[in-house]
Amino acid sequence: MMPLRRFTIHQPKTVAEAAETLAHYGETGRLYAGGTELLLAMKHGLLRYEHLVDIKTVPDLTKIELKDSYLSIGALTTHREIERSEIVRERIPVLAEMETKVANVRVRVTGTLGGNLCFAEPHSDPANLLLCLGARAKIQGGKGERTVPMDELIVDAYETSLAPDEVLTSVEIPIPDKSQRAAYLKFQFYERPTLGVALLLNLDEGGRNITKARAVVGCISLKPCRSDKAEGLLVGPRDKIEKQLSDAAKILADLADPSDDLQGSAEYKRHLVGVFLGRAFVKALSGSQRS
Amino acid sequence: MHQEAKKKGNFRVVNHSVPRRDGTAKVTGKATYVSDVQLPGMAYAKVLRSPYAHARIASIDTTRAASRPGVFAVLTGNDLMGLDPYYGHAVKDHPLIAIQRVRFAGEPVAAVIAESEGRASEALADIEVEYEELRPALTTEQALAKEAPLLHERQFEAGALRGFEGEVTAGKGTNLCQAHHLRWGDVDAAFAKAHAVVEGEYYFPMVYAYAMEPYVAIADVNESGVTIYSSAQHPFMVRHDLTSVFNLPVNQIRLVVPYVGGGYGSKSYTKIEPLVAACSWKAKRPVKLQLTVDEAMLTTRSDDALTWMRTAVDASGKIIARQARIYMNTGAYAENSPLVCEKATNRCVGPYSIPNVQIDTYSVYTNTVPASSYRGFGCAQVTMAGESQIDELAAKMGKDPYEFRLANTAKRGEEFFPKMRPFDGTLEQDLAIAAKAIGWKSSLPKGHGRSVACSGSDAGAYPLTSAAIRVHADGSASILIGSTELGQGSHTVIPQIAAEELGVPFEKVRVISSDTAITPYDRSTGASRTTTLMGRAVMEASREAIEQMIRMAAEVLKVDAGTIQRVENGVQCGEARLTWSEIISRYYGLPDGEVIGRAYIRKAGDFAKLPVFWETACTAVEVSVDEDTGLIRMEKLATVGDVGLAINPALAEGQDIGAATMGMGVGLFEELVYDGPQLINGSLLSYRVPRFSDMAPEVELHLVQNQDGVGPYGAKGGGEASLNSMPANIANAVYSATGARIRRAPLTPEKVWRALQEQKLKMED
Repeated sequence: MMPLRRFTIHQPKTVAEAAETLAHYGETGRLYAGGTELLLAMKHGLLRYEHLVDIKTVPDLTKIELKDSYLSIGALTTHREIERSEIVRERIPVLAEMETKVANVRVRVTGTLGGNLCFAEPHSDPANLLLCLGARAKIQGGKGERTVPMDELIVDAYETSLAPDEVLTSVEIPIPDKSQRAAYLKFQFYERPTLGVALLLNLDEGGRNITKARAVVGCISLKPCRSDKAEGLLVGPRDKIEKQLSDAAKILADLADPSDDLQGSAEYKRHLVGVFLGRAFVKALSGSQRS
Repeated sequence: MHQEAKKKGNFRVVNHSVPRRDGTAKVTGKATYVSDVQLPGMAYAKVLRSPYAHARIASIDTTRAASRPGVFAVLTGNDLMGLDPYYGHAVKDHPLIAIQRVRFAGEPVAAVIAESEGRASEALADIEVEYEELRPALTTEQALAKEAPLLHERQFEAGALRGFEGEVTAGKGTNLCQAHHLRWGDVDAAFAKAHAVVEGEYYFPMVYAYAMEPYVAIADVNESGVTIYSSAQHPFMVRHDLTSVFNLPVNQIRLVVPYVGGGYGSKSYTKIEPLVAACSWKAKRPVKLQLTVDEAMLTTRSDDALTWMRTAVDASGKIIARQARIYMNTGAYAENSPLVCEKATNRCVGPYSIPNVQIDTYSVYTNTVPASSYRGFGCAQVTMAGESQIDELAAKMGKDPYEFRLANTAKRGEEFFPKMRPFDGTLEQDLAIAAKAIGWKSSLPKGHGRSVACSGSDAGAYPLTSAAIRVHADGSASILIGSTELGQGSHTVIPQIAAEELGVPFEKVRVISSDTAITPYDRSTGASRTTTLMGRAVMEASREAIEQMIRMAAEVLKVDAGTIQRVENGVQCGEARLTWSEIISRYYGLPDGEVIGRAYIRKAGDFAKLPVFWETACTAVEVSVDEDTGLIRMEKLATVGDVGLAINPALAEGQDIGAATMGMGVGLFEELVYDGPQLINGSLLSYRVPRFSDMAPEVELHLVQNQDGVGPYGAKGGGEASLNSMPANIANAVYSATGARIRRAPLTPEKVWRALQEQKLKMED
């Protein structure tokens, strides 16, 4: 780690101005929010930018608002604000709970949800859970606004689909309804999580059958992944699904295709997918729709 | 001088947990560290490091870097004419900057000296170095193979060799840095008639002794000599090395050490000081070099150790023999590893009473970051093997491992290690306390396991220490010591001793430390020696000052000195009572002046026999193991420090929990990982150190205080020993929980999971 190289900081007043500045500097510029990932990578010499566009000077990007069927969270909302938000705790408790365990408190008071998603570090808890919950990213750019699902925002490790003049402004997260159960679990031993597993299950009225499932595995792959086939195995009577969990885990592990690294061997990570999918299943069904 | 037989319970200042002196300054950010020091006209250096593990430097072009704005000079191995650039404690094998050759990835190749760190940093990219890569030897196996590339071709000059008893092996045309052998009895005969034997290979990883403060130094080299502010543990040893680099007399080298932000062995001996001094010499101005943590990780690490060991018992369960062969990867330069090698050899035995012993230890040069001292000096490395094997033997004999230990540990007063000081601890008592604290006989929940383990090491280093105390005319006092405050609490403990002796309040005693131009010589601040040796020196210096003041009082009162009696903070003779302040003021005829007491400690008298003391401690752990993931959680921890007398019990306990936590780190996750020639987890992002969330929710800290040491009031050192047994303790507790025996630290979740998988396969067979 070396001292930061010199750069120019730009402090736009509006999203449009930020987008214009970014477009102007192209490859030599980067949007700067909390900086918990970006500045670290710059100090390590892994990334170099001559211009940082400090989006924190743009007002109104830190709102958490309840809309009809979803929560809108401004891109500059910090992990800590989400973790402590009454609305989030009440409406999407699984999100608040996940946020309490992101990195450490110093990162959480500085790091933002938008920054986390746009940096697209593969070991991201929010990206895993938000993909599972069916969240959408609201994007503003030179050509106007667009809204895309999570898996269209994060396209690869450290790579998003944002155009050079586009800025993520908020994330819209559908509020799980009464029939839904969600859980997020991770295995973390080092600085970043080794594995994250998110699960969202729709139950029938008796609560014995699962009518719809969404399962996301992340951190062991370049980007969070889900599979229709794996999710198909998670639909049906509970006792039948319990027997199919390991097959679903295998499909997800194949899809994630982990590799050997400092966090562990591919074989171990594949094993962990099975363990944590099972635990997430138990956890999701043990709680109310609020946990 | 005989020690006063003051017993526990009768002390006024000593043996009380007075709050640490530096506490408030440190937690409020007001304490001065080297990084806070600014000298007028000071420049900043940044270092260019080798990307190759082993290469010849074909050429270095610094012209572009040197001509950048704000750059004062660039230093390379080609600029050292006029200096003796090789230094080293055991052998002088370490160039202060690479000279024509690099021997590890991360070795300094050039340094830019500029008006700011930023300017210096930016200029590094403009230095052009052409390397011709050489075949590296990265492991001990590769380095000892026939046809292995040789790291060092030249014959070395010996270093200062302080405390080093063996013959230096390095520089004899092989990559063997040091070999050390220990034997007594007849191991072959003993193993031949043994009732049971366990044999195995154990691994202690390369680790980084993470200190919050990375290495930092400021050098000012000018016509009046060399002044260096450094984060060094042992300023006097660094001074010695610099006298030879600059060929200057001792009094022209000045080392000043303010607070040090943690050392744990990593800051012992000379590190970046010769390089910074050469930068100042070349740039002709004061220069500061502040390393980052990542750079510190490329500066020193611990020796790893691959230990083959076997231990034998007779039918009664008495250990009759131990044999070990240890290979340590010592990296590119010897640093202090020859001494670590020697100490690791000795520490394979203790604290057990074993009649037949053969230990052969080899430290090997490789093209990796140089290894040096690490808290415990080789003891942690070999105790991973030793204490694992005690439990394995107990299991094989169907004995309770706690009772098996009790039956075999050295007894107090026993000369269990030939020619060394008889054992001065009470392990039966220590182990009993540890076992009780961990609830030894109580039942365990499923998936939980527990273990009790101990270590005893020949500690205290070499007894060469001096101290002075100035008693001022107002009755306050200043102690002058060469001991460095590293966070261990020496600057609280040492004045407690002086206050006890002088009978003055603790607040009246000030500490002036670690400035080689001012403070008397002290060999080192390491090997847990400060309380014992410096404590004893300050106690004796205080008594010597008192003797002088008694003679002065006799003169002032015109009586015979023999009629004068000592009272709390002065003397009494008949009706007359004089405080120290009154004696000094009346003696000089002014309310000014002072009395200087001094003491020298050497290898004589109470200190004639080494070790200075046996550093003895027990730890006990309860862990739980998640069998699905292999994740270990610490459930309970107990430490027992056998410290003779705790001058400050809270600080002694703080040392124990700190050491045990550091040992837990090695047991659970710490390891420097090389992928070929590159260290791939050389940053705190990927190198895992203990966190508060890793701590056991239940902790008990105990001290055993039998006043059986040679330190002041029977004190002995502590602070390293609770580390040593922790990795083996965790491995033993995992065995107790699961039946799987893991012989390689750290016990990462994946390693535990794999061991459990193998265990299942074995059960199925």
